[in-house]
Amino acid sequence: MTFFTIVLRSLTRRPVRTCLTLVGISIGIAAVVTLVGLASGYEKGIGKQLDAVGIDVVVSNMSGGLMPKSFNESLEQKVAALPRVAETTSVLMRMMSVEEAPIMMISGREWGGFAWSGMKILNGRMPKDGSEKAVVLGTLAAEALKKKVGDTVQIEVEELTVVGIADGRSMVENGTIFLSLGVMQEVTGDIGKINFVDIRVPPNTSKEEIDLLCRDIKGIFPEGRAMVASEVVGSSQGFRVVRAMSWSTSLLAIIVGVLGVMNTMLMTVFERTHEIGILLALGWRRRRIVSMVLCESALLGMLGGLVGVGLGVLGLISLGSSPGIRGFIEPDLNPRLLLISIAIAVVVGVISGLYPAWRSSRLTPSLALQS
Amino acid sequence: MNLMLRSLRHAVPCVALLVSVASAEVAAPSARDLAAQLSNIIQDGSSVLRLKMDINKAGGGGKTVLQIQVKSLRGKGSTDLIYQILWPKDRKGESFLIHKAGGRAPGGSLFTPPDSLVPLTAAKIKDGIFGSDLAYDDLLDNFFAWDNQAIVGTEVVGRVPCQILESKPGKGDDTGYSHVRSWIDTKLMVTMRVEKYRGSGKLAKRIDTTRVSKGDSGNWVGSSFSLQRPGQDSVTEIEGSNSKHDVTFTAADFTPEALRSLK
Repeated sequence: MTFFTIVLRSLTRRPVRTCLTLVGISIGIAAVVTLVGLASGYEKGIGKQLDAVGIDVVVSNMSGGLMPKSFNESLEQKVAALPRVAETTSVLMRMMSVEEAPIMMISGREWGGFAWSGMKILNGRMPKDGSEKAVVLGTLAAEALKKKVGDTVQIEVEELTVVGIADGRSMVENGTIFLSLGVMQEVTGDIGKINFVDIRVPPNTSKEEIDLLCRDIKGIFPEGRAMVASEVVGSSQGFRVVRAMSWSTSLLAIIVGVLGVMNTMLMTVFERTHEIGILLALGWRRRRIVSMVLCESALLGMLGGLVGVGLGVLGLISLGSSPGIRGFIEPDLNPRLLLISIAIAVVVGVISGLYPAWRSSRLTPSLALQS
Repeated sequence: MNLMLRSLRHAVPCVALLVSVASAEVAAPSARDLAAQLSNIIQDGSSVLRLKMDINKAGGGGKTVLQIQVKSLRGKGSTDLIYQILWPKDRKGESFLIHKAGGRAPGGSLFTPPDSLVPLTAAKIKDGIFGSDLAYDDLLDNFFAWDNQAIVGTEVVGRVPCQILESKPGKGDDTGYSHVRSWIDTKLMVTMRVEKYRGSGKLAKRIDTTRVSKGDSGNWVGSSFSLQRPGQDSVTEIEGSNSKHDVTFTAADFTPEALRSLK
C-alpha cells in the first residue's frame, strides 16, 4: 500500500461525508468563478468596445455610479486643440430600460465622428444625417427588443425609427442602441451635454506622450479625468464596488468551505487515532503523518475546486444568457480564472488541514493504540 | 456523534467570530430626527423620472409592462404629480395629474387619448394607478411628516441593518392608513421596506426596495421596488431608469391641459 493509496482510502472510507464536504467547497469555488467571471467579463467587454471603436484616450467624469456624469460639450473643442491629439469625438451615453427590455446602453454619438466608422451595417442603413430621428441597433439589442429595420423604438417620449442593424464587433457594442448625439440630447433633454470625449492620438505616440496629454486634459477639466482606454473601467468607482462585492461574496462562500473541510479533516483524524498510532508504531515520522493529513485535505480541496469550476462555468453560461445580462456582459471564461480558482481550492484545502494535521502529529503511539 | 461534537467544538469559535463581526451595531438617530431627514429627502423639489412598471397578475392574468414618465413638484406642504404612459403604443398618452396642498383633500384629472379628460374623484383615490398595486394616495402620502414617529425596533432587510420607524397620522393628516412602518437604512438614508396598515391593524400594502443606486444628485435612492397587497393576486415591480432633478417647470406644466401632450 503506497502513501497515496492511504490518502485516497481515507477519503473514500466515508463517501457521503466526503461528497458533502466537496459540495461545500465547490459552492465557494463556483461563486468565485461566476461572480468574478461576470465582473471581469464586464471589464473586458468595455475594453473590447473601446478597441472596436479605436479609442486611445477617454475623457470623462467617472466619480459617480457605473455611468459618468455629464458635462458641457464645449470641452471637446478645447481637447481637440491640445497637442498630441489626432481626432476627437463626443458621446452621450445612458443606461435605461427601453420598452419591455431591462436596462440597455444607449449611445448618442457625434455625427461624422470616428465612433460611427467601426460599425458594420448588416441590414438597412446608417442615419441620413445628424438630425434624422433614427436609431441603429446592435445585433443583440435588436434581438432583445425584437425589432427589425422599419420598426420604431420608444426612447423617452420619442418614437425613433430603426434604420439599421449593425455588427459593433464587441458584445457591448452589439447590445447598444446608437443614435446621433444631437437626437440623443434632444430626446433625453440633455441639450449641450455629453459624458465622454473619445480621443485618437497620432500613430506611434509613446506612453509618456499619452501621459502628458492626460495631464494637459486634467488642466482644462479638473473635475474629470483623461484615461488611457485600457484603464477606463478599472478606475470607475462603480466597477470597483462590483469587483469588491464579487470577491467579498466569494470569500464568504470560501470561508464556509474552509470550515467544512476543517470539520471533515478533524473528524477523520479523531476517527483514525488508532490507525495513526499503528503508523507511528511502525516507524512513520510525525512529519509524514502531517503530510498525509495535508495531502488528504489538499486533494479534497482540489476535487472540490474541479467540481466548483464545472458548476461555476455552468452558472456563468446560464447567467450570461439570462435576459438581464445578455448583450450587456460577456461572461469571462478565461483559463487563468479557472486555474486560479482551482489553486484557491487547493490552498483552502491545505489551510483547512493545518490544524487537524497538527492535532494528528501530537498523538503518542501508546495512547493512540489504547483508544 | 461524540467525534462530531469534538470536531464542532473547534469550528464553533470561528463561526462565532464571523457572526460577531457581522452584527456590528448601527448608531441610532431619534425617531423625529430620522423622520424629518427622510421627509426632507422626499420633498426633493422638481424632477422628471422615468420608470418601467411590470404588473404581474397571478392565475393566468398575464403581465403588463409600462414605460412611464413622471413629472414631480414636491415642496413643503404641497405636491403636484403627472404620470404619463410612454409605452406601449396602444396606451401611449394615458395619464393623470394629482395634487395636494396643505391639509386639503387631493384632487386631479385623468386623461385617456384621444380626448377624454375627467376629474380624479375622491372615490378613485384609493384605486391602483394604470391597473397596478400602487394607489393614487400612495403617491401623495408623506408619512415621515406625520405628527407621531417612533422607532419600534431594528431588523436586517436584504442584508442591510435597518431601524424600524412607525409613523402614525395626527389630526390634520389626511390618510386612509392607521399607521405605516418603514425600515430605514440609516447609513444611506434609504427606505428599504414600507408596510401600510388600515384602521383594523391589517396590513394593506407592502413595498420592498429591491435595488439602491446613486441618484443624479449624488444621494443614494431606492431605484427598484416591489409592491404587494396581501390577499391580492398581483405584484407590481417598478424599476427607475432615469432621473433629473431641479427641472424648470412652468405653472402650465401641472394643469389638466398639460396631460394632452407628451414632452
